[in-house]
Parts: sequence; structure tokens; C-alpha cells
Amino acid sequence: MRVLGIESTCDETAASVVELRPNGSGAILSNEVHSQIAEHAAYGGVVPEIAARAHVEILDHLVRRALDKAGLRFSQLDGVAAAAGPGLIGGVMVGLTTGKALALAGAKPFMAINHLEAHALTARLTDGVDFPYLLLLVSGGHTQLIAVRGVGEYTRIGATVDDAIGEAFDKVAKMLNLPYPGGPQVERAAQTGDPTIFDLPRPMLRRPGADFSLSGLKTAVRLEIQRLGRTPRPNDVADLCASFQAAVVDVIGDRTRAGLRLFREQFGPPQALVVAGGVAANQAIGHALSRLSTQTGVKLVIPPPGLCTDNGAMIAWAGLERLRLGMTDAMDFAPRPRWPLDAGAQRSHNGKA
Amino acid sequence: MRILALDTALPAISACVLDSGATEPLVIESLPMERGHAEALLPLIERVMAQVEGGFASLDRIAVTVGPGSFTGIRVAISAARGFGVALDIPVVGVSTLAAFAAPLVLGPKPAQERESALPGVIVSAIDARHGQVYLQACSQTGAILLAPTVLPLAEAIDKLPPGPLRITGSAAPLLAIAAWSGHRAAEVEGEIVATPILYVARLGMIADPEGAPPRPLYIKAPDVKPPSPFRFSFA
Ligand SMILES: Nc1ncnc2c1ncn2[C@@H]1O[C@H](COP(=O)(O)OP(=O)(O)OP(=O)(O)O)[C@@H](O)[C@H]1O
Repeated sequence: MRVLGIESTCDETAASVVELRPNGSGAILSNEVHSQIAEHAAYGGVVPEIAARAHVEILDHLVRRALDKAGLRFSQLDGVAAAAGPGLIGGVMVGLTTGKALALAGAKPFMAINHLEAHALTARLTDGVDFPYLLLLVSGGHTQLIAVRGVGEYTRIGATVDDAIGEAFDKVAKMLNLPYPGGPQVERAAQTGDPTIFDLPRPMLRRPGADFSLSGLKTAVRLEIQRLGRTPRPNDVADLCASFQAAVVDVIGDRTRAGLRLFREQFGPPQALVVAGGVAANQAIGHALSRLSTQTGVKLVIPPPGLCTDNGAMIAWAGLERLRLGMTDAMDFAPRPRWPLDAGAQRSHNGKA
Repeated sequence: MRILALDTALPAISACVLDSGATEPLVIESLPMERGHAEALLPLIERVMAQVEGGFASLDRIAVTVGPGSFTGIRVAISAARGFGVALDIPVVGVSTLAAFAAPLVLGPKPAQERESALPGVIVSAIDARHGQVYLQACSQTGAILLAPTVLPLAEAIDKLPPGPLRITGSAAPLLAIAAWSGHRAAEVEGEIVATPILYVARLGMIADPEGAPPRPLYIKAPDVKPPSPFRFSFA
């Protein structure tokens, strides 16, 4: 069984073909990604209209390339999946409409995929993880702990009440005049810094529940910069980044530990702790989570960086998981700029979870 | 040649299937629609193609309007058209909405010799660009371009048009005609003033050279980009 997956919810245009092997595992036959970082860099963030224009320009070429690299003709596919949200509506419309058109003209099943669900299921593609497991989703737009119990069965255990973690990295980078996207820059600068120079808060530490809060930490960094009374020198930048990252590491460790506890109470022992989202590339965070994994005895799965950030393979895989359960979608499926994974969840405090 | 034409650039969604040599389309459907193009377009095409013997496999070419019009709408039809192009491995050609509006006046609803008058004058296609602006194109009665597609404030548009009586078509035709009359210029509103004439999108698509008419958006306006701000998007 082979499915084409299309992703265009933010600033990456992607297309990929994934095959379901008889043993239930997945094989990525092709995985084409075009990043728009260069187009948005001048604005310090993703500009929706620029993103939408870039998606429509290139998506059909990426689909052709994904088919070529997989060595397949379109007719040899068994289904088409496209991300239908959550995300920037202009871009979602491009990918969703392209996917529907491919499916309609080729008389193939169509699957409208929740981008977050695709992140959540990636560990099954890469590592064959069994249900149920705890997902830590940490990206520029999301910070959530989710119990993944089955395809379409998700329960939110915790989420940020304000900024996402990647967003906090990006904002701190911006305050320190580091280029966009800031996460990798902050990590690099932190390597030469001393994390004990600045005493930054660890919001929510040891609080009941498993929610996150990042905005106080971000504000504390701003205050420390002001207190310096000068433009931060390279060593200030390094120390601030190291201190900030150390605080984030502590927060993630504490909140994930709390999440694992809540998971056990509600659903029994998890099969794994799975990390997804661009922030999963951060090594300091990775190390902290692997310590947590050793302490708690829960297997840690971090898919390779290219599959943690936005990509088409995760959409194709989620499509495969749905197709084999007969969960297909109609041609009138509307784009969903907001689309929480757990249908029953109450809206988070500011919609930023 | 059998062509499928699509349009969602203006407040309508339309599709039609035309065979070369035929004057009437095999199927044609057009629905006025302010929003929701992305949800409605594929179901409409599904209905249209269900009435075509041979279905999608019988198509030789796709024509799609590339704008100017709603940025989002332009992208919906182009995404669908390009998707069909990949799935069916057939050419996709882009047709401008301004050209499609002008086409019935140039090609005529009737052959030239049957028309009541030769109707000299400048054929103007005008589409509302909001904020007091219009997308504009002018051509001669033989279709030669006199003013290339552009966007102008309504107040300036009339002065930029070549001399002669104006035959104005398109969604902003009434607005532009009023501007012309108040400047004591002869002007008439003709042809379509709501939806892009989809049959003419098909006709123009049929004669277009795929190399010279790629299905690329014709936005005319640059994206509205706000100054940098530390924003992020999150959705769930
Ligand atoms: N090494 C790193 N350390 C910390 N943060 C990082 C690192 N690498 C990337 N990031 C952050 O990850 C984010 C990008 O992640 P990703 O591409 O998964 O998500 P996104 O496009 O922001 O949104 P979405 O939530 O819709 O998936 C950015 O905020 C970036 O700064």
C-alpha cells in the first residue's frame, strides 16, 4: 500500500510517498521538502500571503519529483493524503486542494490529515512504536503533552498556557539580534556560555498538572538584557542563551515527568515517550529527556530531525494509517486553520497550545 | 481536443467542459459564492465530470483562470488545475480573468458578420480590486492589447485608457462606466459583470500555447506585508 502525502500548513512545502510494508512498518520511498525560510527571513517570521504564494508556485513540481524519486507513476498509488490544518489557511488551501484534485482525477481514496496527528504518529513510521504512548510535541507553534491511544484517539495531558517553546527560543534570539529562525542559533550560542550567570525563573515547576508557561521566562531574559545596560557582548549573548536554555531544559524535564505520571494514572504504562516538533533537534533538551527515560524506564523515541519538523512523509504515513482503517474523507472537506487533536478539549487559555 | 476549464478568482465557482469545434459546452456549471471556494470547487467538478462520457480520462487539457481576482481564489483553482495536470499527465494552461471577460466582446457571442454593428471602440476589462482600485486591461476590437493588465485607482483609470468610446466589461464595469460618464466620455457596459465567463476561459485555453500560458498566478498586487513583528502562529 502506497500513499502520497502533501504538507503546506506553514513555511515548508513538502510531498512524499510512503509504503506500508507487510509487517506493518513503513518505508519512505521519497521525501521532498522545500523550505521557505529565505523568503520570510527578512520579516523575522512567517508572512501568510508570502507563504501561500510560495506553496502554489512549487507544490506540483514537488509532487512530480516525489513520484519520480519513488520510481512510481501516479496510477500506482493507493491513496492521497494532504494536511488540512491546523495552520495558515492560505497555504493549507493550496495543499488540500491539490491533494483532492489528484485523488478525484485518479479515482483514489483521499485522506484529510491533521498536521498534529501526523507529528503524533511519526514514531510508528520510524520506530514501529505501539499504542499507547506519550507524545511531547514541541515546535514553533505548539507545546503539548498528548496521550496517543490509537489512530484518531488523542487526549491532551498538558499544554502551554502562553508561548510555545520554539516561539520562546525565537523571541529570545530576536532580543539578542540572532538571525531567524532562532532556535538553532540560541543552542549554538549556549554551547560557549555559562548557564549559571543569569538566574532565570523555571515557570510551573512542580505545579500540579502538566501545563507549561514560557512567557515569564522570556520576560526575565528581556529584563536581564535591560539590566546589562549595554548592547549584549558575545559573551553576554552566550551566557544568556545558556541560562535560558538551562531553564527550558528544567521546565521540559519537570513537565514531562508530570505528564508521564498523569498518563500512568489515566491509561496505564506508556509504551514510549515520543518527541516531535522542531525543538526536538535541541541536544540539551534531548539529553535531559534521555535522562528522564533512564530514570522512569520509559523508552525514548526521537525521530530523525528531518521527520520532526514539517515534512510530507508524516502526512503520507498518517494517510496510510487512516486508509487501512477505512477512514477516508470527502471532496468537500474544508481547511481547518484551528484543529485541536483531542476533539473534546476545552480551548486553551489563549489558543496558543 | 477536450478541455476542462475552472475558475474561482471572483465571487463564483465555475467549471465547464468543451470539445474543440463545438459551440456549446458539454457541461457547464457556475455558482455565485462569496466564500468557501476551497470546499465547494472539487464537489462541483465531481458533478460536472460525472456528466462527461469518458470522465477525467477523456480530458486532453485543463484551463484555469490565473487572476487578477481574490488572491485566495486564484490559488484554489490553480492548485486544483495543477493537481489534475499531474494526475492525468496533461497540459495545464493559464487564462487571465481580464482576457476571459474581454473574449465575448472580441470573439463575439455571434460571428462578426452577424453582429448589428461593427462596434468600434476600446474593449475594457475591469475587475474590482477593492480599496477604490480596479484591475484593468484594454484591447482593440480585434483583441490587440492597448493597455496591459494593471491595477489603478478608479479615479485615474479613465485617463489611462486609450481614446475612443469604451465598451466596458467585468465585475467593476458599472463603477468604471460611471467614472467615464462623469468625465463626459462615451462608455457602455457589456458582457459579463459577475462571474468570469467560463465558456470563454475554455475557448481561450483551447487556443493557448501551453509553453506561453503557464498556470501561474497573476496577482498584479504585491503581498500586503506588515512590518516585522515578533509574531508566531499557533492553531490548536
Ligand atoms: N536546536 C534547536 N533548539 C531549540 N529550538 C529549535 C531548534 N531547532 C529548531 N528549533 C525551533 O523549532 C521551531 C520550528 O519547528 P517546526 O518546524 O517543527 O515547527 P513550526 O513550523 O514552528 O510549527 P508547527 O508547530 O506548525 O509544526 C522554531 O521555533 C525553531 O526555533
